[in-house]
Amino acid sequence: MLTFTLRRLNLLFFTLLMLTVVSFSLSYLFPGEVITNLSGQKSPSAEQLEQLNSLYQMDSSVFHQYFAYLGQLFNGNFGISMSSQVPVSSELLTYLPSTIELCITALFIAMFIGVPLGFVAAILHNKPADKAILAFAMIGYSIPAFWLALILILIFSITLSWLPSSGQLNLLFEIEHVTGFKFIDILLSDNVDKMSAFKDAVSHIILPAMTVALAPMTLFIRLARTSMLDVLDSNYIKAAKAKGLSQSAIIYHHGIRNSLVNIIRQMGLYFANLVTIAMIVEVIFDWQGAGSWLIDSIYQRDYTAIQGGLIALAIFTFVINIFADFIYAALNPLERNRKHGA
Amino acid sequence: MKFNLRLITKTIPLGLLFTALMGCNPSADDSVLTEGIVYCSEGAPSSFNPQLITDGTTIDATSKQLYNRLIDFNNTNLQRIPALAKSWHVTRNGKLITFYLRRDVSFHQTEYFTPTRTMNADDVIFSFNRILDTQNPFYQSVDGNFPFFQSVNFHELVDSIEKIDDYTVRFKLNRADSTFLSNLATPFAVILSKQYAEQLLADSDPQALSQLDSLPIGTGPFKFKQYRNNSFIRYSRHDDYWRRDVEIEKLIYNITPNNTGRLTKLLTHECDVISFPIAADEIKSRPDLVLEEVTSFNVAFFAFNAQKPPFDNPSVRKAIAHAVNKEAIMTAVYGEQAEIAESLLPKASWAFSDEVTTFDYSVEKAKTLLANAGLSEGFSFDIWAIPVQRDYNPNALKMAKLIKSDLEAIGVEVNIITWEWNTFLRKLAKGEHQSVLIGWTADHPDPDNFFSPLLSCSAMETGRNRAFWCNEKFDQLLAKAYITNDISERKKLYLQAQNILVEQMPLLPIAHSKRAQAKVAGINGDILAAFGGINFENVSKTVGEN
Amino acid sequence: MAREHTYLEEEFPSPILQLWHTFKKTPVAIIGLSCYLFLVFLAVFGQFITPHSAVAIGDSLLIPPAWSDEGNLSYLLGTDDLGRDMLSRLIHGTSLTFGLSFLVVIMALVIGVVIGSISALSRGLKASFLTHFLDVILSIPSLLLAIIIVAILGPGLENILWALALVSIPQFVHVTRIAIKEEQKKGYVLIPILDGASELRVLITSIYPNIIDKIIIQATLAQSAAILDIAALGFLGLGAPIPMPEWGSMLATSLDLFYIAPWTSYFPGLAILFSVIVTNLVGEGLRHSLKTQKES
Repeated sequence: MLTFTLRRLNLLFFTLLMLTVVSFSLSYLFPGEVITNLSGQKSPSAEQLEQLNSLYQMDSSVFHQYFAYLGQLFNGNFGISMSSQVPVSSELLTYLPSTIELCITALFIAMFIGVPLGFVAAILHNKPADKAILAFAMIGYSIPAFWLALILILIFSITLSWLPSSGQLNLLFEIEHVTGFKFIDILLSDNVDKMSAFKDAVSHIILPAMTVALAPMTLFIRLARTSMLDVLDSNYIKAAKAKGLSQSAIIYHHGIRNSLVNIIRQMGLYFANLVTIAMIVEVIFDWQGAGSWLIDSIYQRDYTAIQGGLIALAIFTFVINIFADFIYAALNPLERNRKHGA
Repeated sequence: MKFNLRLITKTIPLGLLFTALMGCNPSADDSVLTEGIVYCSEGAPSSFNPQLITDGTTIDATSKQLYNRLIDFNNTNLQRIPALAKSWHVTRNGKLITFYLRRDVSFHQTEYFTPTRTMNADDVIFSFNRILDTQNPFYQSVDGNFPFFQSVNFHELVDSIEKIDDYTVRFKLNRADSTFLSNLATPFAVILSKQYAEQLLADSDPQALSQLDSLPIGTGPFKFKQYRNNSFIRYSRHDDYWRRDVEIEKLIYNITPNNTGRLTKLLTHECDVISFPIAADEIKSRPDLVLEEVTSFNVAFFAFNAQKPPFDNPSVRKAIAHAVNKEAIMTAVYGEQAEIAESLLPKASWAFSDEVTTFDYSVEKAKTLLANAGLSEGFSFDIWAIPVQRDYNPNALKMAKLIKSDLEAIGVEVNIITWEWNTFLRKLAKGEHQSVLIGWTADHPDPDNFFSPLLSCSAMETGRNRAFWCNEKFDQLLAKAYITNDISERKKLYLQAQNILVEQMPLLPIAHSKRAQAKVAGINGDILAAFGGINFENVSKTVGEN
Repeated sequence: MAREHTYLEEEFPSPILQLWHTFKKTPVAIIGLSCYLFLVFLAVFGQFITPHSAVAIGDSLLIPPAWSDEGNLSYLLGTDDLGRDMLSRLIHGTSLTFGLSFLVVIMALVIGVVIGSISALSRGLKASFLTHFLDVILSIPSLLLAIIIVAILGPGLENILWALALVSIPQFVHVTRIAIKEEQKKGYVLIPILDGASELRVLITSIYPNIIDKIIIQATLAQSAAILDIAALGFLGLGAPIPMPEWGSMLATSLDLFYIAPWTSYFPGLAILFSVIVTNLVGEGLRHSLKTQKES
């Protein structure tokens, strides 16, 4: 386990290094002054400029500049947003939790619907139900998220008026921003009716989370189906059958457990995709998350914010990646001792 | 395997909880949801002090909600009525104007400021000295940027402001000006708290000065609570409001630039009121929604930057103007909401005259003019189209596309460019554009408001003259017009000025349109006004059975 | 996943041809392929067969599709708010959304396979660096990366092409590298090496023909992702320039008409859905054939 952990940490370190290099070089690639892109100060006074130049060591070599930039990042200084002139780090603290909330909810929805469906399809292999589930998976995988979002709004918000079409919470609820996670903040707040605020928040998250969940859900369906088929086909199951175990006992005791191991591994790899979808969905559902904030920054050519957002979102997906790796390793001892990743 | 099982047993209840909650429906009987109004606006305000801006979005968000003026306009007959000044007196030569102030006006009490006295003459003098006195720290904190006041030459007009007693203020003008009182009734001439300014001055942090404009204190019906950039504004009721008891407790601006997004939120009742609705027929067909319209003094125009070639040549400007098919724009962009603009002035203005020279759509004339300018092979240029919906222009992008295809007929190629709204305004004020599709909503009924702020030489310095066009003869005519009070004389002068515009074509007027708004049926009270943006102070909400 | 293919007895001269034989036995895959070829045809010749101009502004605004009561047969799918024929715009858009995705995949495939081969043949620090680098790129959401590249280069078709190609390369590198490594373990590769052939020669003559099916499957995956990404960029207004009938940007501009003229939003969305499904069907068919082949 130790070497495994060390290898992951090594990977994390390397990733952070690469990411910061990429982000630093963006300052040079983006149009405009390098120091403006790095700091976000749009029209600094002469003395501010001097201060910034020394902060980022602009008069020494690019190498030194990079380390100065890295130092600033470690101090939590991502510069200030060019458009709002607020520190990027504080904007990230405001917006990133909402994105995490949305992604994690979507991931759970995808798993709780996708995995059982996949198992059902495998158990009913080549029967009409299997075909129907596969067709659903194919369409779900192909549908553009932004279009799906519109259709869902049309059906559930406008025609049926069951669910709201935008935002995270009715703005008339005044929830103080503590952690940024809406559900936690509601529980921490004391000036509103928690139950109705909580219900309101749940009704707000359903549509966007379902939209984000659909594509990963189809992936889970396929994964669950394939791995369950593999398991059902393997020799130890045949042995169990010979032993006289019932079909349901076999599926419960052997099938589900072993398939889940595979799924968790894939989940980590797929997470970057999920975040991509979440970014677009946030825009359509007016979700105040890092994705829509980042896309807004791009419209406004707010380069400092783009760099900060890139680092934050990439680290988020990477952490989930590693987290999934750890769970996988914990569940599957074989993985821990492998020398090199595939 | 133990680990695995634990994972499952832990997650299943969570999933069950979630599915159970999914069946829940937000109930409408919640008291929190009925005591406030959510207004979905089309854009984010660029400041919280209307002294510093000229855009309608910011006026809508701030002017009548947070502040009051000395004088207001009556909504029905457009006459000036008392506000913070209960009466005023103008001397016969028009140079001394005395205001008698109300004594019962209290400022907002918020987390960041607690007033100890009511409004008096000091506050009025501070509010205007901030604009006039170049030594005032609050003049310097915004680099003297007061675009409206600069465009009407406020600093040259006002000689001094004098405190007669605690509740009497006298303005001394350098010359008579028939538009002065109207200018004080515009949404820009708001009254700030001097006490709050002093508190900020006492703060050791030099950055604190900017809080005067970002953490506002005023006397209006609502006070500032929270603003999240480009997302929402939260106001709460000002309990000691002098004019009336305000009914709604909370007022929230949900910033939704997307037109369909705003309509969707209205259809789902997530917004109580929305600005600039699209799909008017759909709204009219629903019994739970109300569509309102008000005649607005506005004009949409196509301005050519006269500082940049090839538009430094009036013939080229006229050629392009001849090639624009306004009829087609009317049907495709406005529907029935507008009429073609023959001149800058709308027909409802008293200075409008039928005698004004009109400008026709003629591809032939356009080609001849281009040939004369030596550009018969055509050229290409940029049109900047505003990214938000305004009352004068519901869809500038579509208008730009139509103009693009019109101009192809004379061999001119167009690139359509757009930016996020605040960036757009900033770049526009610097004159980075070649031409722009934008417009103007009048701040008061005086015809001067259609000329001086838009095309005078002083408006060029502030960048509000979108054509960056400066003509001495035109400026002299305007100056003559505002020192006289003789209506027929003024009308003649404005006619001459308009004929210069046809001759020079710094901008092509396109349409005068109505301003529309849609709301949920239970919202009562007038929100829309002909001038000075929207107003929520006499709005109430009755909860229907929906 | 069959792991024991050490002894493949029925080695046909061309694995790709073999794949085709199994492929054409699945009716769904054949339907998918014919639709795919139809889209390719539209992408190439679409602009010559449109009934109306796709960009010129017409006089008949917002005509509903022909099957509704107010419809007009000369505008089969109706017109938009500027009087442009929807059908012509959709056909023209095929070359933008679908055609562009095709180019994206070809570029990414060529570059990706080259880098993948280099990385498969290299060892030690260089290989480790490459894999780590790939991990980093793969952990950045692809659309985010594309958006950032577009933010650097500015919007425009050519820049989207570059951005998306760049984003799809890592997957090709990954697939190629793993496929080559797997082949290298097999016995048949040893024979030419023992004969003294260079590594490069072995790669071209022996390994490539045997991994091409995997690369094609990756190509179909990459293309369906590319279509969705192009459309998403268009939808966000960061894609094709304004009057171009790219499906995603058509959908975005038609949003304003969603409640008045819903067909202007339905059709571009359906077009995207159709082309992605078709691409996926082809990919799925290939994967299925590959599996049946291995199992037989």
